[in-house]
Amino acid sequence: MENLTMLLGGFSVVLTMQNILVTLLGAVLGLIVGAMPGIGSLAGVALLLPLTYKFNPTTAIIMLGSLYYANMYGGAFSAILLNIPGDSPAVMTALDGYPMATKRNRPGQALFTSNMSSFIGGLIGMFILTFTGPALANLGLKFGPAEMTALLLVAMTSIGWLVGENPIKGVLLTLVGILIASMGMDTLTGSPRFDFGNMYLLGGIPFTPFVIGTVGFSQVLKLMGERNKKVEANLSQKLTIRGSMLTLHDIKRLLPPAIRSGFLGTFVGVLPGAGATTGSFMGYAMQKAFKSEEELGSGAIEGIAACEAANNAAAAGSFAPLLALGIPGSGTGAVLLGGLMMWGLNPGPLLFTNQPEFCWGLIASLFLANLLTLVIALGIIPFLIKILTVPIKILIPCITVICIVGSYSTSNSMYGVLVMFFSGLFGYILDKNGYSTAPMLLAFVLAPLLESNMRKSFISSHGSLDIFFRKPISAFLILVLFAIILTPVIKFVIRKVRSSTKSV
Amino acid sequence: MKKFAIVLAFAVLLAFPVFAAAQAEVAGPASFVPTKNIEWYVTSSPGGGSDIFTRNLMDIMVSDKLVNDQNIVIQYKTDGAGEVGRLLVSNIKAGSQADHTLLTFNSGDLMPMAKNTNNRFENFQPIAHLAVDKHLIFVGEGSAYKNFEEVIAALKAGKNITLAGSKGDDIACHAALIKELGVSEDQFAYIAHDASSGAITAILGNHYDLLICKPAAASQYVEAGKIKPILALSTSRFPGNLSSAPTLKELGYKNVEVPNWRSVVGPKSMSAEAVAYWSDVFKQVSTTDAWTKGYIEKQKLVPEFMDHNVFKAYGTQFQAEYLASIGKDK
Repeated sequence: MENLTMLLGGFSVVLTMQNILVTLLGAVLGLIVGAMPGIGSLAGVALLLPLTYKFNPTTAIIMLGSLYYANMYGGAFSAILLNIPGDSPAVMTALDGYPMATKRNRPGQALFTSNMSSFIGGLIGMFILTFTGPALANLGLKFGPAEMTALLLVAMTSIGWLVGENPIKGVLLTLVGILIASMGMDTLTGSPRFDFGNMYLLGGIPFTPFVIGTVGFSQVLKLMGERNKKVEANLSQKLTIRGSMLTLHDIKRLLPPAIRSGFLGTFVGVLPGAGATTGSFMGYAMQKAFKSEEELGSGAIEGIAACEAANNAAAAGSFAPLLALGIPGSGTGAVLLGGLMMWGLNPGPLLFTNQPEFCWGLIASLFLANLLTLVIALGIIPFLIKILTVPIKILIPCITVICIVGSYSTSNSMYGVLVMFFSGLFGYILDKNGYSTAPMLLAFVLAPLLESNMRKSFISSHGSLDIFFRKPISAFLILVLFAIILTPVIKFVIRKVRSSTKSV
Repeated sequence: MKKFAIVLAFAVLLAFPVFAAAQAEVAGPASFVPTKNIEWYVTSSPGGGSDIFTRNLMDIMVSDKLVNDQNIVIQYKTDGAGEVGRLLVSNIKAGSQADHTLLTFNSGDLMPMAKNTNNRFENFQPIAHLAVDKHLIFVGEGSAYKNFEEVIAALKAGKNITLAGSKGDDIACHAALIKELGVSEDQFAYIAHDASSGAITAILGNHYDLLICKPAAASQYVEAGKIKPILALSTSRFPGNLSSAPTLKELGYKNVEVPNWRSVVGPKSMSAEAVAYWSDVFKQVSTTDAWTKGYIEKQKLVPEFMDHNVFKAYGTQFQAEYLASIGKDK
């Protein structure tokens, strides 16, 4: 109850004309930054940070907080309409969003689904943050290297659900993803690995250009093949808000995955080193375990809802360790933390006690940003879906430019563009031969985390496996892992035994 | 009349450079002032220690009008763990661009650079050394050890200890420490994290025995009672809330310190006039209140100004010693 009073206090800080305007500005900028491939929340916050040095800290963090927040919405736009994820968490949104917009001809509904689930996921995350803030952060602390290793192993098994019809192809691409992720500096000793003597490869393959290439640019190459195909000028729906509304049945399909992912995403956001991207991957993978009306990957509402809700919830969850302990849960969090220091605040375990109006103002501003962004995002749907009526011939050069700009801006160098071109070509070849790139991307995101946590565990246990069973959380997770892996085997054995007894 | 006007215009145009050149000659060689945007390279991500260091310097330089009212543009070049940005600066050709380029350079940058690439300190023009960060060892609330004597006793009894910290200079610190204590890396293991914040998280969750980090990152947690300093890796104790930690000498060993110095360098090709100018600008910055109180004191650094000549000798020796310590001196 006390927290609720504090939250209301926070709202009294936020609901001044200046702060509302700043939230609005942050929301609009966040949507734009999010929708632009390559410029994710990290770059957006980093670019705006210097501008805020002269603001008072509360106003500054409100603006950056709402920018970060709105960004999670924006990423889905280009993912759904162009099959180019605007930011890394939206990779999973593209899997179902793009088919729903094009194959099923329901672009408005796809955007509506993504916005609604973002809102729901975010709201769940914020309520959990409000009521359990510091306790939530302490839960995150319980996850040391052994616990993280066990959790990541469980998450890796979800690749099994992503591999599609041909398991061998899926496993192969998972391995390729791990191999690519291991290039660059060794995370523990700092020695170069698979850098082939190249200065650029020393820093590894950057994620954003890699994703823009494999998902977005390969799409361009594919479109080139069908450039002369006529676009069906009449979309089956009207390009208005009303034409984009979800039916009651759609909403019924949307709610369960969005709510589940809201809780899961918040939890993932709190974990050390795992951000919104991991959240949305896990949210999508979890949905595979539940029933979806249409098959995931074919344009299912459930698929969009599961990952969009998870990534927004993770963004909200990542504020818990940041505010309660001064620990950034993601790269963007780290930049915000740097900002706090520049504004003259001391982020750390005393922030909630020393600067309550700042902390609660920030949390209240997240609620406000969530609402404002939803309104803006829904309002622009009719304009956005017009993109789909643009002839492919014109769309191809436009998307190419976006891909190039996006991959250039991640590190301000042509290296990103080169990575994008090559991975685009690679992605195209894979696609032509019936390989799905999702397992590769999932492995690419999770492998570095898994590697560093596993090696940390083994260093501290001197190579002994018992570290995974010493503490209850990791022991439980390892049991879950065994259960997941062994279930099909046991089922198979039981079936064998049964059929053999029958035949006898 | 028209012809005359054109001729006059030409004459005036031609006279300008001559006049300007003459002026430059009169003022002598130490007369460099910035005449265009200054590009300042930072090879770490925005928001980190290097970025904050650079932005504090920049703010003072702009507000105290030390850069002839020119703009300073910060360029983040983080490709190849920063090596690409450093290579780029070291390769800038002599000329106006070289005189308008700066690079934030720390010992935490120098060590991986010297270890993993062929780029060396000599490929840069040292400008100014501004401050030094030193390290401490901490224990968390739930740690099995209360002070460093207990840690030493445990090591002697053959127990394994884990130390969590960041990269670069933290790793070098650990290497120097186990050498002095005479224990193996297997027994006193180091667990590297991407940043100090990751190591602190792990210590708060009680996943390792000890934590190594610099004062600025740890200060808040010490104040909140979450971690406790037990050893100062310095030649003297730290001030303020860190003063309870003894130095190694007090415990009967030789002192161990691997300072992380924070400095500014330029391209090797920078002109002597520009070097003198920038070195002087940073000297002026280092004496301002905004610097000593707003940065050095707040971030708990040791102020230590060296001009370009002193810094050149210091940095060269630092690199030679480091290369010798990792067996790469030949």
